Amino acid sequence: MGVMDQVELPKPIRYVFNWGRKYSLWCFNFGLACCAIEFIAASTSRHDFIRHGVIPFAHGPRQADLLVVSGTLTDKMAPSVKRLYEEMPEPKYVISFGSCANCGGPYWDSYSVTKGVDQVIPVDVYVPGCPPRPEALLDGIIALQGMIQNESLKERIAGRRLDPITLGADAPLALEN
Amino acid sequence: MAQVLARQDRALSPEETEALLRDRLGDQVVGTTVEYATFTLEVASAGWHAAAQLCRDEPLLAYDMFDCLLGVDAREEGFDVVAVLYSTSTGNRICLRTRCEGGREAPTCPSITDVYRGADWMERETYDMFGIEFEGHPGLEPRLLTVENFEGWPLRKDFHLASRVAKPWPGVKEPAELDEEGNVIERVPEVGDAPGPYDLDKAMAEQARAVNAPAVEEGAQDEAEQDTGSEAAAEATDAEESPPETELDQETYERLLAEGKSERIARSKAKAAYIKQQRAQAAGGDAADDGPSATGGDAAEDGPSAAEKAEARRKEQAEARRRKAEERAAEAEDQGAGDEEEGA
Repeated sequence: MGVMDQVELPKPIRYVFNWGRKYSLWCFNFGLACCAIEFIAASTSRHDFIRHGVIPFAHGPRQADLLVVSGTLTDKMAPSVKRLYEEMPEPKYVISFGSCANCGGPYWDSYSVTKGVDQVIPVDVYVPGCPPRPEALLDGIIALQGMIQNESLKERIAGRRLDPITLGADAPLALEN
Repeated sequence: MAQVLARQDRALSPEETEALLRDRLGDQVVGTTVEYATFTLEVASAGWHAAAQLCRDEPLLAYDMFDCLLGVDAREEGFDVVAVLYSTSTGNRICLRTRCEGGREAPTCPSITDVYRGADWMERETYDMFGIEFEGHPGLEPRLLTVENFEGWPLRKDFHLASRVAKPWPGVKEPAELDEEGNVIERVPEVGDAPGPYDLDKAMAEQARAVNAPAVEEGAQDEAEQDTGSEAAAEATDAEESPPETELDQETYERLLAEGKSERIARSKAKAAYIKQQRAQAAGGDAADDGPSATGGDAAEDGPSAAEKAEARRKEQAEARRRKAEERAAEAEDQGAGDEEEGA
């Protein structure tokens, strides 16, 4: 990130910079259930979110800007989502796609389902539906692009820094051993 | 196996299978059933491993494929374990079933992983869900399906779902709809009852009305001006001239609404009733005018009488409308007075 998250860019430059960022969202699809099928439908020729500048099937989380969690997240899977999210470079965005990813959905009383992906990672846009239609995902993407256009990268990163990652809090550091 | 193709002609019937298994296993066999075209052999826990071994190694049975293994919660009596085996040479399928020892507290069952390697993860899964210990299994821990520090056995009937403890299930649990006393509500669906989730029908109907209504009215008026002698034109004018409220038979409309019909149905039925009434009135008028008039004869002869009738009907309607308006005004006054009294 370098200087971008330290210095507030002048407004015209910020406008162009954000405009460029919002139309080149490399998307990493975390497909977990039937919502993933709707995601795939949104990426193919009929709905085609590539025309909005969303590029599906990033090679991996390290090359992605946008994480779409589509489907039922179980407690067993939650650490993997957390880990893949942390592998993504800043600035990174998350769309929670479908009722299960939003809040547990029909599995709200299940013994194994996480009650929303926002319990594990911060979410930018929630798309409701069970499953949502591809148009709903397009709507969510447009909403996210509107957010990116108007945001200040410095403020976003500063917001993240309010909730810092504390090394050694969960497990001892490798150097200490 | 020498022969791998399914040979149903070589397969033993359930009776023959039962006789063979009872002969080999002796008093380990608890019972047999044939349900849903599946032969089930119930064995004692001590004979579980021997039964699986026999099913695989006996050439007459030759159950060489392990299909699945699962647990069953048998309430007070403890837990059952069911294994399904398949024979690729005869096409037969068999269910082995046993009751675990140890009751509900510490259910244990001999492992059959040394007979069928495929039973390994099936037994781990059954351990995960029911807490049944499989003696002789290479390693049931760590837990396979749940998170590793999960407490409890989720598929046991006495397992409490934490979310349900905090918040009971909203609405009915059964597929049928129940009222507050627990009676099943029976509904006969009618046309127009379920317009869909988006009220699209309603919106489209309104749009169509907004677009079409003025054009139809103008057309009808033009027609009426051009050819006042025509019976049809007179009728069309009648129907179009009256405002939408008076097109409905108010009595029918209110009755249907009270019966719980949707507004759309009530409106259409009330409209039909109104038109029927109009027809009846028109027929009465014809009778008073001495016989049927529109016989398809000369327009010059029928013209004046039809025009007169249309005129008379229009007057009648105007009268009725005036009366109704007066009634309404009176009602409104009464209500206003009542409100004032209540307020005082």
